[in-house]
Parts: sequence; C-alpha cells; structure tokens
Amino acid sequence: MANTDRQVNELIKREYEHGFVTDIEADTFEPGLNEDVIRRLSAIKNEPEFMLEWRLKAYRRWLEMDEPDWAHVDFPKVDYNAISYYSAPKKKEDMLQSLDEVDPELLKTYEKLGIPLHERAKLAGVAVDAVFDSVSVATTFKEPLEKAGVIFCPISEAVHKHPELVKKYLGSVVPVGDNYFAALNSAVFSDGSFVYIPKGVRCPMELSTYFRINAANTGQFERTLIIADDDSYVSYLEGCTAPMRDENQLHAAVVELVVLDNAQIKYSTVQNWYPGDEEGKGGIYNFVTKRAACIGNNSKVSWTQVETGSAITWKYPSCVLRGDNSVGEFYSVALTHNFQQADTGTKMIHLGKNTSSTIISKGISAGRSSNAYRGLVKFGPGAESARNFTQCDSLLIGDRCAAHTFPYIESQNKTAIVEHEATTSKVSDEQMFLCRQRGIDAEQAVSMIVNGFCKEVFKELPMEFAVEAGKLLEVSLEGSVG
Amino acid sequence: MKPAPTLSSAFLTPGSQSLPQPLLDLRSQRGTALADMPLPTRKTENWKYSSRHLKLSDELATALPVKGKSGPALAVPGYHVVFHNGVMVPEASDYPDVDGITIQRFADLDDSLASELAERLDNTLDAKAAQLARLNSARFEDGLYIRLAPEAVLDQPLFVISETDACSSGSAYPRIYVDAGRHSQITLVEEYISLGDEPVLVNAVTEFTLADGAQVTSVRLSAEGENVQHLGATGVRQQAHSRFDSHCVGFGGPMRRHDLQVRLEQSGANCRLNGVVVTQGKQHYDNHTVIEHVAPHCDSEETYRNIAADQSHAVFNGRIHIHQDAQKSNANMSNKNLLLSTGAEIDTKPELEIYADDVKCAHGATIGQLDKQSIFYLVSRGVDRREANTLLTMAFINELVQQIPVESVRETTQVRLNQFIEQTFEEA
Repeated sequence: MANTDRQVNELIKREYEHGFVTDIEADTFEPGLNEDVIRRLSAIKNEPEFMLEWRLKAYRRWLEMDEPDWAHVDFPKVDYNAISYYSAPKKKEDMLQSLDEVDPELLKTYEKLGIPLHERAKLAGVAVDAVFDSVSVATTFKEPLEKAGVIFCPISEAVHKHPELVKKYLGSVVPVGDNYFAALNSAVFSDGSFVYIPKGVRCPMELSTYFRINAANTGQFERTLIIADDDSYVSYLEGCTAPMRDENQLHAAVVELVVLDNAQIKYSTVQNWYPGDEEGKGGIYNFVTKRAACIGNNSKVSWTQVETGSAITWKYPSCVLRGDNSVGEFYSVALTHNFQQADTGTKMIHLGKNTSSTIISKGISAGRSSNAYRGLVKFGPGAESARNFTQCDSLLIGDRCAAHTFPYIESQNKTAIVEHEATTSKVSDEQMFLCRQRGIDAEQAVSMIVNGFCKEVFKELPMEFAVEAGKLLEVSLEGSVG
Repeated sequence: MKPAPTLSSAFLTPGSQSLPQPLLDLRSQRGTALADMPLPTRKTENWKYSSRHLKLSDELATALPVKGKSGPALAVPGYHVVFHNGVMVPEASDYPDVDGITIQRFADLDDSLASELAERLDNTLDAKAAQLARLNSARFEDGLYIRLAPEAVLDQPLFVISETDACSSGSAYPRIYVDAGRHSQITLVEEYISLGDEPVLVNAVTEFTLADGAQVTSVRLSAEGENVQHLGATGVRQQAHSRFDSHCVGFGGPMRRHDLQVRLEQSGANCRLNGVVVTQGKQHYDNHTVIEHVAPHCDSEETYRNIAADQSHAVFNGRIHIHQDAQKSNANMSNKNLLLSTGAEIDTKPELEIYADDVKCAHGATIGQLDKQSIFYLVSRGVDRREANTLLTMAFINELVQQIPVESVRETTQVRLNQFIEQTFEEA
C-alpha cells in the first residue's frame, strides 16, 4: 500500500498540463462595462447597426436583472466592472490570408495544445475554427465545406456576410433577457462560431472549435449559433483548455441550436478549463447557457458533455422539443476534484406530440468538491404521448465530497410518461479488492471502475473525443484514491 | 422590482383563549418575528408550484369562534381527544389512563411545564423549509402535550380529531407535541375534518421527539371540505434506535400542504414515510418532506403516491439530506404519480443532497397514466373498462393504504377513494 500511496501522492501533485501563457501583445480594453464599451466593441468589430441595437437592448435588460443565486455553488461575487470586455491578438493586417501569416507564437500555443491546425488538421480530418481569446484567427477546411454549401465561420463574419440568417436566428433560442449571464453575453459577446447547414445536406466532416482563454483578466464571452435546415445533419465538437491563472476568470458563453424539420445536430463538448489549484485558488467560472430549439418535426438534438475542468460550472444544455416527434438527448459526465463545484444538468421541455427525451447523467465527485445534477423535465398540455427517461448516477470518492440531485419533473399531459431514477454510491471495497487481488494497482482500478461507470456516455462521443475524454478522466482522477 | 407581498398584520393578532404565561410569551415572540414576513411566491423555491393556490386574505386571519360544544358525533373506538377550531373540548374527549402517559391540554399546564414546553416548541421544524409552521406558533390557542415516560406503552391508538367549524370565515391553529421517552410506544392518529362552507384556514403543527428506542406510529388523515385551506407541518427528531412510522393520507382542497421533516440524529434511528394523495376537480395538494441523516447508520424509506384527476394539481417534493460523516446511511425514496386527465398537473422533485461517501441512496419518480396493456388484459377477460380503470387505480394506491395500521382510518380512506373513483371514471 505504501508504494501505491507514494504513486498516488505523486499523481496528486501533478500540475495542470495545459497551464501556460502565450506571450502575445493583446489589444485589450480597460476593465469596466458601460454603454460606451459596448459601442466601442461593436465599432471595432465593424458591426452593422442592428447588432449594436441588439447588444444595447441586452445590456439594458442585464442592468435590471439580479445575479441568480439558486445554484448549489458558493463563490465570491464577480465584479463585472473589473473585467475587460475585449481582447484580441495583435493583428498586422486586417485579415489573415493563410496560416503563414498567423503569429508563430500563436501557432506554438496550438501546437502545445495538440490542436490539429496545420497539416495535422488534414490528417485528423477536422476543420478547426480556432478561437484564440476573442477573435477567430484562422480557419481551415473551408473549401470542402463551401462545396457542400455549409457555412462555418466566425459569428463576427456571419454578421456581415449573412445578416439575414443572423437577424432571424440570433437570440431566437436564448432571448437577450433569458437569464443574467445570457443577457451579459448578448451585450458583450466577443466572437464565436456560426454554422448553417443548408437543406438536405449532411455535413461532410465533424466541425470543431477549440476555445482557449488567454490574456489575464479577460472575460470570454463566446456566442455560437448553429442552424440545421430541413433534412440536414451536423456533428459539432467543442473542446477547451486554459492556461494557469490565479485570478478567477469568468466565462459566460451562449450556444444556440436551431433544428428544423428532419434535421439533426450532435453537439459534443469536452471541457477542461483550469479548475483551480489544490487549495481551490483560481480557476475558471463557467456560466454557460446552451439551448436547442427543435422547431421542426422529427428533429433531433443530442448533447454530449464531459466536464472535468472549471472551478465553478453552471451549465444546463437544454432542448425545447416543439416539433412533433422531435427527440432530445443529454449524455453527461461531470467530474469534480479538489474544490471544484459543478451545478449542471439539462432541461427537456416537451411541447410537441410524440416527443421523447433521454437523460443520462454521471456525476463523479472527489476531494472536497461538490457536484450537483439539476434537471427539468416538463410536459406541456400538448405533449401527447411524450416520453422521458432519466437516469442520474453519482459516484463519490472520498468522504469530504458532496453529490446532489435536484430533478424537477412537471407533467400536464396524461398520456406523457416520465421515469426518473437516481442512485448514489462509492467505489466499493469489494470492487477494489477484486481488482487489487488480480494485481491491478489502486490507481488503475479506480480509473477502470470510473471508466466503466461513464461508459454509457463515452460511447456517444465522436471517436477522437472519446479517446481524449477517457484520458482526461484518468488524469483528473489521479490522486483521488489512497 | 415590485416588493413581494408580506403576511398581513391581521394574522398576528391571536384569539382570546387563556394560556399559561410562558406560552403566551412564546406566542408574542413568534408573532413579532413574523411581522413583514414575505409571503411565498413562484420564486420561493419550496413554494414554486403551490404559491398560486395560497390565498391568505384578511378575513381568514380572525380566530374562529370556540363553542363549548359536544364535539363531532364520531364513533371513535378507543382513546380520543377532540379539538374544536384549534381548542380542545375536554367533555368530548376520552383520555387514556395508562401508567407513565400524561396527556394535557396547553391551557392546563402549570408554569414550570409550560416553560419547559415553550423551550421545546418549534425545535423539530426548520423555520426556512416550513415557514408557515411559524404562523401556528404565533397563533395557537390551545394544544396537546403528550408525554410518555420511559417504557410506557399506549395499548391502543390515540385519535386526535381536529374539527374545524366553518360557520364564519377565519382560521384555526391546532397544535400537538409528543415527547416519547426511552423505549416508549404510541400510535397517534390525527384526523382533520370540517363542518360548514365558509372559507377557512387550518394551520396545524405536530411535533414528535423520540428518545432512544422509542417507537412512534403517526397516521395523518387530511379530509376537510372544499372550503378549507390546510397548511400542516410535522416535525420529528429521533434519537438512537428509535423508529418513526408515518402514514399520511391527503385529499385535495383549494390549498393543501403538508411539510414533514424528520431528523435522524443518532445511530440506528430509522423512519418510514408513506403518503397517499388524491386530487380531483380544481383541487390542490402539496407534500414536502425532508429526511435528514445527521448520524451514521440510519435508515429511511419513503414512498409517496399521487393521483390527480380533472384539473387538479398534485405536488411532491422529497429531500434526503445526508450530512457529512453520516456514513453507512441507507435512504430510499420512491414517488409514483398517476395523471388521469390532461387538464391536471403533477409536479415532483425528489432531491438528494449527499455529503458522505459510504452511503446507499436511491430515488425514483414516475409520472404516467394507467397502463394500456393492463387495461387490455382485463378488458379481454370480460371486465368492463370502467371496472378495469377502477381496479388498476385502486391497485396503484392500495399497496400503501393497506399498510395503515389503524383499521378505522383504512376504512375511511377506502370510502373516500371509492367516491373519488366513482366521480372520476363516471363518463369513462
């Protein structure tokens, strides 16, 4: 045991691998938020009038709102005036034409992160719209996408090139006044991805954006809008890492998915932002609003997430199942360690006939962390024969961590059926004994058991992500037994 | 933002019944604390689904008049105590005369006992979770103080009939405190009934403390008329190896709510909470339960079933809270709901809050309708559709009704359930 203990201790001390800061001169606003900041932001981005109006409307709504305090998390108040609302890597030209023009420092950063951006992008077969801080720097694989008619570009570009789509759909799923953080995001969002899949198109590759928070004290306010038109399909990957920082960084993203008739969107996330150190110092505040509107009949949305990072996670990817026969899925693994806090789950709002949803949530808490599932399943009066199945399991590792389940179930239709079950358990001594007896060390045994616990979710991830997720879990868990 | 409405000051003026000084002091102290208490709104987490049914108009604030009447004509077998509009009627009551068991009304307590009681009242209920239970403490006009000496055993159930006479608009505040000594045993049946048609409010609070090895069975039947808003709360604190067994039967009304809070404070304590709720018409019923596992090695088992028909609204919120270091806790919660009509609504929230790792906790919740295949099975064997519906609905709920250990309550419940089913499946 002494031997394992030593190994375990070594692993506990292992520092966050992706913690480094790229030294690039950033064009950064003074901290603070007011209407002028929003006007300047909008001007820098050369936005059309309607965007500025939209931002200001959101800002005014935000001013009237109170910060929500219902989540099961505990953190010092965020001073929104101490945050800088714009930061972009310094640009030599207005636009970058090819990878050669990209700042080599930046490329090095991506290299360290293992992002397949250069030729690796080709090998991996992934089109990467890499967001470095707030401005999309380089985008690859545009051609095959263009051939298919798929629009995949930074949202700041979409505002100019496709204003009709932006006007129609931006804020249609998450209105500007939806909640405190969504309103803030709508007012100051820096950039993000825009995807439009035309009618009948199956997106030829998996789309992917790597977010990365850099530059100290810069809040990151991403905005993603994905529209899947009739009979289309797209799989979208989102993954995150962030450099080590002592001060808490705020991240309030909004993701909107619009799914029309017979269309399908698969949205996968691996989130591994800096979770703070062993004493709970630092780390990212991750307050995200993600929502999908299944407007069309027979539409389908599937959210898969692996959450291992962030000091505080506050995130509920939701589906509004408006179209008849639409389907919503939510697969989640949330792992918390040290002093991390997570309050995450989903909302399935059934409005159309024969809508169905599945929720599989696996929460793992270790150390002194707190992990809560909070979900809503709602059947409106029109949700004839709707169906939901929910399973949330929690695994506790160590006697100072906490796991919670807060499922809200509301039904107004007698033909709708909902089933919810939840269990809480620990890695049992028997399981450990069985593994140890067969010569598997404690560390590996826990990793194996946890991987088994999460398998249902991992199998929903695209292959590249599944590998990454398994590794992530292993690294994050190391040091939690002993 | 509009300020939230507060509790009308009219509610803070208690009636004129005489009580020992320590209890009067407690009452005015609680009243002062309630001044300007914001009323629950949709944003109040534990009133999310029910605040819209709560109507605390000033007319309800008046204490209902107390008449020295003979009590309800009920053929209650065995021991019974009758409350009329929150005040005990000694003439109508039949006290048990058993060694070690003392049953006293609040008005009869001497000062030392009354101050002892004043110290203990409200200790079992978390003010935040059951905020309106505090209204009872500011308003009660009488109550029942039941003390069981160590080893004392009450041989038959004790019925406490709380009758509300809605001859005029107003409110009543029945109160019971049970102190069960070491290894004592008691079965307490609370029945809430009403007369008259004026809109009234019943705000009832019952508290139990169980010493080591005590066994308490509590049966609670809320079956008042359509004009009665009922805000009830039951608080329980359990010491080592004590057992608390609860059976709650609730029939809907304009606003019905029962908060049940159990604290398992020492190892070996265990509790079983069963609940049945039936709502129809435009009725409402809300059950909020909290089980706190404070000490290691405690067990809890909770089963609640709701049936909602017509345009009615049933709510269940069950919370299991495992404190840090409450290792080896076992907690199980099951909540099944039958939604018989699309106009009706069922909201349920089974919560787990866990701060210890070596525990076994599970909860399950379902909402659905009668199983079509089961109906088909019965119909294909010559049972008519209505009968099939009746059978299956009864089967859904009977599992719990049959567990009620007091026959007369089982019978009353059966009769009410039959009525409900007759009305619900009339046109079907």
